[in-house]
Amino acid sequence: MSSMYLPKLAKIVEVIEMTAIEKLFKLQFVNEEDAKSFTFKPGQFVEVSVPGVGESPISICKSPTRPGPLELLIRRVGRVTNAIHKLKPGDVVGIRGPFGNGFPMEKMKGYDVLLIAGGLGIAPLMSVLQYVVDKRRDYGDVILLYGVRSYQEALFRDMIIDFIRHPEKAGLRTFLSYEREDPVFVSLMKDHPENVRKGVVTVLFECADPYIKPDKVCAVVCGPPIMYRFVLKELAKRNIPPNNIYITLERRMKCGVGKCGHCVVGGATAIKYVCKDGPVFTYSDVLSVRGLV
Amino acid sequence: MRYVKLLKENFKDFFENLKKFGEVHAPVKRGNSFSFAKVDSPSEVALKYNRTILPPKKYFIKPFEEVLKIKVGKGYEPLVEEPKSLILLGLHACDINALKILDSIYLDEPPDDYYQIRRTATVIIGISCEPDDYCFCKSMGADYAWTGFDLFLHELDNSYLIRIGSSRGEVMIESMKNVISEPTKEDFIKLRDIELKRSRMFKKALNTSLLPDIVDSLYESDVWVKFSDKCVSCGSCNLVCPTCRCYDVTEKVELNLKEGVRVRRWDSCFIRSHALVAGGLNFRPTRLDRFRHRYNCKSSIEPRTNSPFCVGCGRCSAFCPAGIDHVDVLNAIWGLT
Ligand SMILES: Cc1cc2nc3c(=O)[nH]c(=O)nc-3n(C[C@H](O)[C@H](O)[C@H](O)COP(=O)(O)OP(=O)(O)OC[C@H]3O[C@@H](n4cnc5c(N)ncnc54)[C@H](O)[C@@H]3O)c2cc1C
Ligand code: SF4
Ligand code: SF4
Ligand code: FES
Repeated sequence: MSSMYLPKLAKIVEVIEMTAIEKLFKLQFVNEEDAKSFTFKPGQFVEVSVPGVGESPISICKSPTRPGPLELLIRRVGRVTNAIHKLKPGDVVGIRGPFGNGFPMEKMKGYDVLLIAGGLGIAPLMSVLQYVVDKRRDYGDVILLYGVRSYQEALFRDMIIDFIRHPEKAGLRTFLSYEREDPVFVSLMKDHPENVRKGVVTVLFECADPYIKPDKVCAVVCGPPIMYRFVLKELAKRNIPPNNIYITLERRMKCGVGKCGHCVVGGATAIKYVCKDGPVFTYSDVLSVRGLV
Repeated sequence: MRYVKLLKENFKDFFENLKKFGEVHAPVKRGNSFSFAKVDSPSEVALKYNRTILPPKKYFIKPFEEVLKIKVGKGYEPLVEEPKSLILLGLHACDINALKILDSIYLDEPPDDYYQIRRTATVIIGISCEPDDYCFCKSMGADYAWTGFDLFLHELDNSYLIRIGSSRGEVMIESMKNVISEPTKEDFIKLRDIELKRSRMFKKALNTSLLPDIVDSLYESDVWVKFSDKCVSCGSCNLVCPTCRCYDVTEKVELNLKEGVRVRRWDSCFIRSHALVAGGLNFRPTRLDRFRHRYNCKSSIEPRTNSPFCVGCGRCSAFCPAGIDHVDVLNAIWGLT
């Protein structure tokens, strides 16, 4: 049986606590063949199973350019994710995938890359970020706009702070917005007033504008559903072609392969499956498919 | 297409011959309605029926099935069933066309093994029918099955003209040489006349040109509100629809907490949790959203078969407890009522 429904076993090799509700899991396939045959593209996701509890779609939070274990950043929100959070190194989970279209990294070659993330949206974008940094010569400037609620809720916060303090080392320009004040971000803003702002992620456009060349940039966006409309409006205002704006979406998913119907979006003229036609869509898709954002 | 002729008096022999190729399932009468079930003799078969409550999809995507065995803490094992040869006798053209739509989803890369195993092991034998008050398959271009079957029986007065639709069908007919004969010129004229008469019998009609665009662009129409106010969100229309194919997945663990099964079962887009995601956000929070979603989904075109996702079988209208009629809703969208 060739079943794409059969999860492959992966062992947890490391768990890193990122925030009160988010952990980064590093996973190694138990079977060597599975490890060898597993290849993926930035922006793809896997279905993670906890045997006896269930399955959830989770983005791959690393770039294929980096060897080593599979990395998943998982927020604890319900049955399956709670069960995953209880697991320790040595425990096993099931992995199906990778699924989804991923970001068109080839098409983006030669362009500047503008990454816009809100909260947990940084997880799938980490795969793009690492990819363009690792293939630095294939891409132009890299700009990251990251919006978080607070220091406590910020993901990869040490890395982000380091990016802001040492942009030349990071190889990208980083801009950070936060909503709730705390000593670390307040002092970071004092030292780097050009890079850090209070407010939602869209306030960062003002800081990043001098570096955004609309005809030379591809934008990549991921965040909570309400963020898209506002961010897309800002990008449209800057005349970035709709085909150069990529968003990655979340919907309820059961199969990941276009069968179960849960992730169906769109109206009668265009029905799309977020799991296989996406999760990456362009702004052009947003304009033609009903209810995408 | 090659035709052979089966005299009605030979139907019993034909039926007995079918049994050699597998277990025969056909429509049977249950109270006032019909359903597909295992049959042992031709007398059980309801060859003239309007529609079964559940469509033939129940043989391929089961209402409830165990797909994987779970060893808690260890992993999963596939639960593969032995393919069982089935003969589905008596499918109407709309149901055959609906299966082609399910195929375009479930056999599309990567194929669903569970579906594929059963589909390959099943012989499809169609039968001609006459439309009732709910049928609108003609509007949907699904009143005629040109592929998707092994044999198709067209009833003439004292015989059936059998269209042979596949090499498997050829093999079956080959083994029934003693019960079949060659059709005559008169038989084909009879067939023509019957088909013409049938074609004129449809009372329900839906305008399908530009339908997807009409349904999508009139998303804000009050018609949706009017009808969805009557809808009780029971999901029957999904369960009885031969092209509805959503399923949900859950896991069940034995009391010993060591073993369990992953199961999948039919789901309905009328159920609130269908489009719910983490954090409690629902992409179709209201009944109105879900109602419009179903009509949009059914009115869209399957790109691989280039046919609409509705075959006009009339089940959703016939079995809706709120009396909502699919064609009435869409005709109201067209401004025809
Ligand atoms: C392509 C994709 C990529 C993703 N990437 C990531 C990622 O990288 N990291 C990550 O953490 N998450 C990611 N997610 C989200 C993740 O899949 C969900 O958070 C996860 O599936 C939740 O599963 P759960 O079983 O833990 O929660 P569930 O138990 O399903 O509950 C989740 C929430 O849904 C609600 N809910 C569920 N069922 C019901 C019901 N019947 N009635 C009422 N409310 C209900 C509740 O509000 C609950 O809080 C991604 C999702 C997609 C589609
Ligand atoms: S069968 Fe009728 S009442 Fe039930 S969900 Fe469908 S439209 Fe609504
Ligand atoms: S939508 Fe209604 S009429 Fe159309 S195929 Fe489904 S059940 Fe039949
Ligand atoms: S997740 Fe099942 S169809 Fe997309």
